[in-house]
Amino acid sequence: MSWRRILTHRFVVVPLAVALLAAGWNIYIRFNDDGLIEGEVRDRTGAPVSGATVVFFERNFVYYQEKQRTMTDAHGTYRFDGMQVHVGQLEARTEDGRHSERRQLRLWFRAQNAEVAPLIVDAPRG
Amino acid sequence: MRRAPSWPRHAIMVVVSCLMLVPFYWVLKTSLTGENIYAYPPHIVPVDPHLFHYVDVWYLIPFPRYLLNSVIVTTMAICGNLLFNTVAGYALTKQFPGRRWVVLLFLSCMLIPFQATIIPAYLITSWLGVLNTYLGVALPLLSTIICIFIFKASFEAVPKSLIDAARVDGLSEWRIVVRIMLPLSKAAIATNVVLTFIWSWNAFLWPLIVIRTSEMQTLPLGLARFLSVLEDTTGALFAFVVMVLVPGLTIFLMAQKEFIRGLTSGATKG
Repeated sequence: MSWRRILTHRFVVVPLAVALLAAGWNIYIRFNDDGLIEGEVRDRTGAPVSGATVVFFERNFVYYQEKQRTMTDAHGTYRFDGMQVHVGQLEARTEDGRHSERRQLRLWFRAQNAEVAPLIVDAPRG
Repeated sequence: MRRAPSWPRHAIMVVVSCLMLVPFYWVLKTSLTGENIYAYPPHIVPVDPHLFHYVDVWYLIPFPRYLLNSVIVTTMAICGNLLFNTVAGYALTKQFPGRRWVVLLFLSCMLIPFQATIIPAYLITSWLGVLNTYLGVALPLLSTIICIFIFKASFEAVPKSLIDAARVDGLSEWRIVVRIMLPLSKAAIATNVVLTFIWSWNAFLWPLIVIRTSEMQTLPLGLARFLSVLEDTTGALFAFVVMVLVPGLTIFLMAQKEFIRGLTSGATKG
């Protein structure tokens, strides 16, 4: 059997294709797994909310608990670093007791860098 | 005489094939949606499908470890099967005193269910000191009688003149097997590989008895552990099932032509 026939045999081609896909996927992960989760907090008028606390809840089959929290800056943006998770929920809370809905976050791999759609809290009262 | 049209036969076959694929479709659909299997009315078409249940399975249980264990055990079983069954199958094509009795013994051993021999098998494995090892898990599948007969049937189909010619050319018995018999028995090899893969990949009872630590567990044991520990994980559970099934299905689809040929040649020439 010639090398060409061996290399194009389905018992070689299929495992090779799977191995290449796995290698490609792992290379992609390697360059995108800093665990950065970024986003914004806004109120219903679209104005950024500064000084809000954003809480990340880790969720899996067995437990559901707060993992980390951070604050929004003057532009209403927040950022989590080194999050070794692939699933969780985000919630924004302001000092005056307003809060956003808990946003489900599902990632394709652990510690994937992600940009989350804005978390919306109610506009300030009065 | 006019031949009857073939389309009704094909239509029936298509319908029956679709019916047989329904369970697979349902497992796949549930793995993509996580829909409760008791939901009524059930959705035929997946609603809001996604692949995140597969990601959950990968990270929330030690799936890579189970997969590695299964791959190692299955590889050992396949290699052992090819080696021992080839040798045994070739030996049974030879004439030697008591050959008939050996064949009869093999055939009668096929009638004994594995469950009945588990205790002696466990004691032998323990005596060899390979409990809770890959070798211990693969041990009962290193040679299977049905596969010996598949090789025997395949070797008997090789013209005797070819073997005589090889012997005249000075080839040893071992080289006759490797250089002549095996290249002419691709269907038997494929059948061995597929059958051993399926038996080893799906083995539950023997690994359950032999394996003592979670690090050594194979995929079927992982699935059982998954079921017993976790609740409300329909999507992830079915994703796990798909991930266990896919390698076996892939191997079968790749080797189905040789597999069918190997089984039928074993059926008609044995």
